[in-house]
Amino acid sequence: MGIEKITNRQLFFILFMMRVTVVIGFLPVLTSADAQQDAWISAIVSFFGAALLVLIIVGLGMRFPDMTAVEYAQKLIGKWAGKAVSLIFVWAFLVIAATDIRIYGGVLITGFLSETPLSFIIFTMVIAGSIAAYSGIEVISRAADLLFPVFLSMLVLSLMFAIPDFLLLKNNLEPVLARGAGPVLQGSIIPTIIIAQYLILTMIIPATEQPKKALRVALWALAGASAVLVLATLTVIAIMGPDRGYRTVFPFFSMVTTLNISEFLERIEPLTLFAWGFGVFIGVSTFMYCGSKGMAQILGLEDYRPLVGPLAVISGVFAIHSYQNVFQLLTFFQPKIAGPYALSLIIVPMGILWTAYGIRCLQNRGIK
Amino acid sequence: MKIHRRNKDKSGNPLTDNMDLSQRYRKVEEIKLGLHLEENLKTLLQLSGNSIDVKFRRFSINKNIPGVLIYIDSMINNASVEEILRVLMIDTQKIECRDESHQLLRTAIKDLITVNNIEEVNDIYSLFAKIALGSTAVLIDGQSEALVCDTTGFKTRDITDPSAETTIQGPREGFVETLWVNTSLIRRQIRVPHLWIEGLEIGKLTKTMVAFAYIKGLADEKMLAELRSRLNRIDTDSILGSGYIKEFITDQPFSIFPLLLRTERPDIVCSAILEGKVGLFVSGSPHVLVLPAELPMFLQSPDDYYEDAIAGSFVRILRWAAVSISVLLPSFYVASVNFHQELLPTALLLRVTASREGVPFPVFTEILIMELLFEVLREAGIRLPAAIGPAISIVGALVLGEAAIRAGMVSPAVVIVVALTAIAGFTTPVYSMSIAFRLTRFAFTLLAAVLGLFGVQFGLLLLTTHLCSLRSFGMPYMMPVAPLIMRDMKDNIFRLWVWGRDTRPKLPGKREPYRQASGQKPGPVKSYNKKENKNGY
Repeated sequence: MGIEKITNRQLFFILFMMRVTVVIGFLPVLTSADAQQDAWISAIVSFFGAALLVLIIVGLGMRFPDMTAVEYAQKLIGKWAGKAVSLIFVWAFLVIAATDIRIYGGVLITGFLSETPLSFIIFTMVIAGSIAAYSGIEVISRAADLLFPVFLSMLVLSLMFAIPDFLLLKNNLEPVLARGAGPVLQGSIIPTIIIAQYLILTMIIPATEQPKKALRVALWALAGASAVLVLATLTVIAIMGPDRGYRTVFPFFSMVTTLNISEFLERIEPLTLFAWGFGVFIGVSTFMYCGSKGMAQILGLEDYRPLVGPLAVISGVFAIHSYQNVFQLLTFFQPKIAGPYALSLIIVPMGILWTAYGIRCLQNRGIK
Repeated sequence: MKIHRRNKDKSGNPLTDNMDLSQRYRKVEEIKLGLHLEENLKTLLQLSGNSIDVKFRRFSINKNIPGVLIYIDSMINNASVEEILRVLMIDTQKIECRDESHQLLRTAIKDLITVNNIEEVNDIYSLFAKIALGSTAVLIDGQSEALVCDTTGFKTRDITDPSAETTIQGPREGFVETLWVNTSLIRRQIRVPHLWIEGLEIGKLTKTMVAFAYIKGLADEKMLAELRSRLNRIDTDSILGSGYIKEFITDQPFSIFPLLLRTERPDIVCSAILEGKVGLFVSGSPHVLVLPAELPMFLQSPDDYYEDAIAGSFVRILRWAAVSISVLLPSFYVASVNFHQELLPTALLLRVTASREGVPFPVFTEILIMELLFEVLREAGIRLPAAIGPAISIVGALVLGEAAIRAGMVSPAVVIVVALTAIAGFTTPVYSMSIAFRLTRFAFTLLAAVLGLFGVQFGLLLLTTHLCSLRSFGMPYMMPVAPLIMRDMKDNIFRLWVWGRDTRPKLPGKREPYRQASGQKPGPVKSYNKKENKNGY
């Protein structure tokens, strides 16, 4: 099959869809803290926090453009220590994949297929994702090319159809910053740490055509996703009101449900979910690809494909068993719990690697 | 027994009746034509088993050197064979050949015979392969080389309208079963020496001529090497038509999607060759394979180019929409009636529910029955002689459709859905692709019946993954869409004006990206200005 290469555009599509699906899935800015009508400011704040984390994640990868994190970790801190640190990445991919799938299952079960067993939905997505992961990153990125227009038009349509209602109810957005910056900052924590998703860049950068531009692509994708998040939050707050938005489990989809475009199209919610699922698929398959690729490199295997199956099963079971119901999922996404957890997934391995890199640089300078 | 037979072979009796085919192969490979005419004749007669269509015409040169003419009845052009005979029996009398220098005689005869192609052959296999294509072999006593003269004159089908790929405008030529006619249809369009046509024979028994045409310097050499190696790898005894070749050289044999385009239209093959692709001709097949092929190619028709650009683009978008309908409509119907009634507007939902009143089958069974019925009707319609064709449509449409609704067996809504699907399916210009879409439609309907829209989504994800993982001779199957190549969008879902399409498709035509100078947009006369226009016209 040769070396797989993906273009920057495809990387952008993957990163964009990956983040948007999760951040608008349950609108953490609104549901994880009581920023209330100021939640959209949290969305803006989260962009800067997330951008900082992206710098940490991508910066090192761009200094080793031909190597995945697993490879340069072994180079920087030795074989066994490097493998140990790399395990954290693989664990992160597994957890995030499972959480992504669980959110997808949760959305479908609460609003859509209330009688279908959860495991059925989860394993269908796991199967689709793992087949794509098995086919390789090129296939995933081509699928992203194909699905991105559908995904984007879903977003644009849902937001566009909300404009009349939005204009009618925009009073809900006032007053701005009535309760100070505290809740706003608190609300921005979860969307910021969801950037742990972008850890996939540590695995994917060697597969891109221009690794030097990966940072720019990642930041653009983050900016695009943040813009969507701000718009979605504004619409949800205006249409549902901050109170109801806070209490609903999946505010964005509830908002879409209330939209009434015309007599003919009374509910576009299933179609929105339909397109949203495409984004979940891209995310899940990329995590599975990166997870199995990372694991294969840790174990020293040439081909990652034999590991996709086991990883798929593990992440599926994980998705079912780590959260008993949707509310446990939401509890997990409280700043107090998910914040330190996801942050440590990024900071610990990257911190170790950056430190090692810094020491190496200093040593080299000393030799000279 | 075996030992016995081997002994018998050695004893000078080359071919016996109870020899198997593979033994015959081995034996015949050893045999070369000898100097003695009668022995050669005996071998040939034994080999061809006195087949009634192989004619042996005896003659003698200068009344003392016997010879024989071998040809196959009705494969030859009678006039040229008569001409050869006249040369051999009459003109040779002028040759002074009392000595035994046969080489001289042969050269002299070669000079006298006025057919356009004449070869010396002493291998029995090639001799037969040539005779079977209409050549005439001249065997002369004392010569171990047969003179094979091209006297081809067998009947071929006329070039007619391509019957399966009709267009409203554009050329009406279609390929025929004869390879040479087919290549000539391409050659007369692309009249440069850079159009190379490579040929080879495949099949031990059929010796089928396979040729592929490409533009040297434009087609990717790696792809050509790959094609050559795939063709040379084929080791079979028979190739009957391009379908055989297609299955031997396709990239992904288990995919239902055709990875090579089969067409009977020279204009499609020409335009593909001009984009850096390859046309693969197989003798005996009126279908030419185009490779590499990508999915959008199967949804394009030459009519799009003969129509105005805007109209052509409209038709293309329409075709994509029709394909989506033909693949997804039944599944959406099943899903929305079974699971997501809220998707349908209330008035429509009420109508559908009312029409389903009293229907004994679940909606999935209903759809399945009607879809299968339609497939059966369609198949019957193709197989029936043209004269009875309309009868089947009356039986199908009127009797089955109408009566089934009257009897309350199926709901009218299902009939509408199936009919819409069928009509939409007919818009796919390439037959093999429409079959692929039809099969996926059944899979989607099944998924929708089990899981609703969510199942359809699952199916779409699998389909996307599958389509994106396909490659045809190294080119991604969903090429200009996934991976997205904006430059190729000029002639894909839309069609730009010819003056605007200044580039070739990026991947197949990467060696010569530009096909014409840019900035050729036509317009009104430039020198026109108001001052000159005194009369106010």
